Amino acid sequence: MQLSLQGIIPVPLREKVNAYQSGIWKNNLSFRKGEYIFIQAPSGTGKTTLIHILYGLRKDFEGIVKWNENILNSTDKETLAKLRTNNISVIFQDMRLFPELTTWENLEIKRLLTNTVTEQQVSEWLERLGIKDKKNSLGSTLSYGEQQRVAIIRALLQPFDWLLMDEPFSHLDHANIDKARALILEVVRKNNAGMILADLDENSHFPYTQTIIL
Amino acid sequence: MQKDILKKLLLRTQHRSRLWAALAALCTGTTLLLTSVLIWWNFNELLYGKNQNDALGSTYLIIGKKVTQQSMAIPGATRFSAQEISELSTAPQVQEVGIIGTNHFPVYATLGGELAFATDMPLECVPDKFIDNLPADWKWEPGNPTVPIIVSSQFLDIYNYVFAPSQGLPQLSESSVKLIVLNLTVGSAPNTEKFMARVVGFSGRIGSVLVPKSFIDYGNQKFGTPQASGAVSQLILKTADPSDTKFADYLKQHNYNTNTENLRWSKIRSIVEVVTSATGVLALLLMGIGTLVFILFIELTIARAQQSLTLLLQIGYGPQFVSRFMINRFLPMVIATVVVAMLLAIAGQAFVATTVTSQGLVLPYMPGWPVWVAMLISTMVLVLLVGRSISTAIKKQ
Repeated sequence: MQLSLQGIIPVPLREKVNAYQSGIWKNNLSFRKGEYIFIQAPSGTGKTTLIHILYGLRKDFEGIVKWNENILNSTDKETLAKLRTNNISVIFQDMRLFPELTTWENLEIKRLLTNTVTEQQVSEWLERLGIKDKKNSLGSTLSYGEQQRVAIIRALLQPFDWLLMDEPFSHLDHANIDKARALILEVVRKNNAGMILADLDENSHFPYTQTIIL
Repeated sequence: MQKDILKKLLLRTQHRSRLWAALAALCTGTTLLLTSVLIWWNFNELLYGKNQNDALGSTYLIIGKKVTQQSMAIPGATRFSAQEISELSTAPQVQEVGIIGTNHFPVYATLGGELAFATDMPLECVPDKFIDNLPADWKWEPGNPTVPIIVSSQFLDIYNYVFAPSQGLPQLSESSVKLIVLNLTVGSAPNTEKFMARVVGFSGRIGSVLVPKSFIDYGNQKFGTPQASGAVSQLILKTADPSDTKFADYLKQHNYNTNTENLRWSKIRSIVEVVTSATGVLALLLMGIGTLVFILFIELTIARAQQSLTLLLQIGYGPQFVSRFMINRFLPMVIATVVVAMLLAIAGQAFVATTVTSQGLVLPYMPGWPVWVAMLISTMVLVLLVGRSISTAIKKQ
């Protein structure tokens, strides 16, 4: 699945975007499946806005975003849901777990959409990221670090061509970052997928094929 | 598991009392709707049903033109024209029109023996198909000395219950009356002819003395007054439903007269129509309110679960999937209310059918197809409305 961006300008950031030369905004770009893209974005340059635009959460932008032939600007909600189920997965910066569900339920609600990952595998991943003991804790009672790890696992419970990540390790220590990074890379490779990671500072979490300054 | 989690997310905050109130209103509305259809159908069943409900009166009517002060002054004003007769055959509910022929010649009947009497006798004839219990020997040809007659059963009743006791005369059974032979003198002197008349049957449908049409024709031709020949002043109608208000209106509009007792059902029918339509309107109103409250309840549930719903859509759940889940949750409730209403209608019908048996009426123990159709239509409308409101509310997210 190919991602094409043609002259994207987020409406709320128009003035700001026009004032400097961005690697993404206003440019025509295309990324092929399997590429590992790192988008380095200082605060306030629209990192989260970009991830949300790519994931189809925002429509307040100019230009065209295309996932293969699907033009996001005019894609209906059902097609978008299918893209999100089978082709594009996301790790939100603000995690977005259901506070009223337990860790396990938060993962099951995603896993049962496609049933491509087994329960046993989910248990293993919980163990690997060190949150197995939080299996039955409510989302609202988890720490940010725990929530982030649940959000990471949740993003991996579906088939995908692209994994979008918005500061995925912001609440994790180095040891946990390593564990999470290894798990993500393993699953991305298994899916032959590409990734787009947006973060504040330069990093070497993944073997990026391209780094773009936003 | 998936359903349990979705239930936890989307249906967590429910106000049970509101739900029950909405369902109760919906159920009452549906029951009333089915009841109004049931009343209407039962009344129709009494009139047209396969079961014989003779208690509801004959479907044969005799009509004539009303004699008024004006018509008294105009000779022949109460006669039917050929056009009026053909118009009547296309009038509402009328299936067949028969001309009642009358004698335009004098008939003098005498009887000797203990029951001796002498009287002028008006005779009438109707087409054979309008006679109930047509006797086997119901024919007459010129030259036959004996004329068969059919007498209104009311005549025999009047004789047996009123006349005979007051005169000290013996009461007569139908078969003994059939043994009596009357002497008829037809025509005015000196041009007269004598016949014997024998009662061959009784009719509850016609209130006079009937003879075969051939006899009336013969007499009218031979002894009748020429200006009166061919005049029709009474008609017999076979009607599908004499209680139809349209039929009653037609008669009234044309100033036709009939035994009002025969039309008594038309009054009851209009009452039934008023009751049915009033119940129907009330039912639709209640159903409307019930549906509205129910839909508002669903919309409120969806609005309360808005955050979870948004997040569900964000992690890949399609609006259709979520709508289906909500529809599967709420539709059984709608269907249950309709089923309860239908069960009540079935119980009501069984009760009515049992009750009317004691009045000599027969009604089916199960509601007929109009009630089932009403149930199906109301179910379909409800399912459609609820389904649409759910998908619309979810698409708005």
